[in-house]
Amino acid sequence: MPTSKPDATILLQAAMKYLEEELLPTLNGYYRFQTRVTINVLNTVRRELELRGAQAADEAARLQAMLGHDGPLDSLNEEMCARIRSGAIDADDAALRDHVRRSLADALAINNPKWTSR
Amino acid sequence: MNQDEIFAQRLRAAIARHLGAPGALHNLQRLTGGATKTTWSFDADVGEKRLELIVQLSNAGATPVPDPLAGVTPHLNSEEDAQIAMAAERGGVPAPHVYAVFDDADGIGHGYVTGRVAGETLGPRIVRDEKFAGARAVMARQCGEILAAIHKIDPREAPFLVRQDAAAEVAAYYRYADHYRLKLPAVELGLKWAAEHAPKNPRMTVLHGDFRTGNLIVGEDGVRCVLDWEISQIGDPMQDLGWLCVKTWRFGGKPPVGGFGSRDDLFAAYERASGISVDPKQVMFWEAFGDVKWALMCLRKGMAFSDGTEPISVEQSAIGRRIEEPLWDFLNLIEGRE
Repeated sequence: MPTSKPDATILLQAAMKYLEEELLPTLNGYYRFQTRVTINVLNTVRRELELRGAQAADEAARLQAMLGHDGPLDSLNEEMCARIRSGAIDADDAALRDHVRRSLADALAINNPKWTSR
Repeated sequence: MNQDEIFAQRLRAAIARHLGAPGALHNLQRLTGGATKTTWSFDADVGEKRLELIVQLSNAGATPVPDPLAGVTPHLNSEEDAQIAMAAERGGVPAPHVYAVFDDADGIGHGYVTGRVAGETLGPRIVRDEKFAGARAVMARQCGEILAAIHKIDPREAPFLVRQDAAAEVAAYYRYADHYRLKLPAVELGLKWAAEHAPKNPRMTVLHGDFRTGNLIVGEDGVRCVLDWEISQIGDPMQDLGWLCVKTWRFGGKPPVGGFGSRDDLFAAYERASGISVDPKQVMFWEAFGDVKWALMCLRKGMAFSDGTEPISVEQSAIGRRIEEPLWDFLNLIEGRE
């Protein structure tokens, strides 16, 4: 990891602070909406930087347990998808359902944290 | 003259030609502009009257490169879009009244002019604002009656509509996932579940295809107009009922039908008006598969830039990141946790 300071999350925080507190109040209509969406997207990136590392490790551990071997996360996901499609693992399989639910909850914690508490 | 002035001049000539002189335009305003469609609002003098109008222009085929996924799911061109709206209006559906369909002589491209209906289309306002409380009380019944009228349209009035049953739709959405090399177990699970639960040999009728909160113009009296007919097709009528219940289209409203009504009211009104009995499990299939479809539509919106058919944009990218929302709702729905 690079050791430059301030780190990426601080750069994002500074950019969002400017957009939200200084730029947004000056805008209307199309530009206000697009800037609001831009702030939301930057927030998503911030949450991904904070959360994704630990999530990816958990996701890989769950996939390894179900597939019975180790490997890079992308290959594990590819293999799991192929097994679901071929029927090698049942769509009703309890471990699969649990894995999918946890993975979705993790992704929503990054992309839209409010969704799971509606 | 700039592009907008040339467009205004040609639109005026087209109005005079199709609707009547003088065709003078007032308050021409661009409402939306997308990769495939641009919408303008305007008023026009025709004879002694001033008409409140909307013009929709199609930019289809104007993308820099051909869309590699064109035709995977049905999509009507402007002329067909106008024709199905006209057939719907003849059948008593509150569809936009089509005043004119442009032809080559207009020099405007593909598009059509409809009447402008006053009201609200924004989902969060329709499901929350106090002023629509009365509308919400009647809308599930109205939607049941309107869907019954849509499903009664004679398919011979719209011979261009594509027939797709559930199995064909599932195959189409596998193609979206594969095209973008998505390796997401949640999507695979959703598609597999849909393939295993697809209704066999359903009745086939004309469908609206995108009948939901957001595509309805709503007043304090309820539904005033049904918009966006461009993905109309022939399919299982329960599909339209299920799509209206998809949680995304509830915009935070609690009631399951579009965020405003109950399934009982929708189904009872639909059965009375159509004579078709509703199997709630079949509607539930279409709601659950609707979640999976919307997930893949989010993927397509977020990733269209990678095909070169659309520029990269913050708005479309943000929609791409909504893929898990309907998948979460799908899982809760099939596991009875809703």
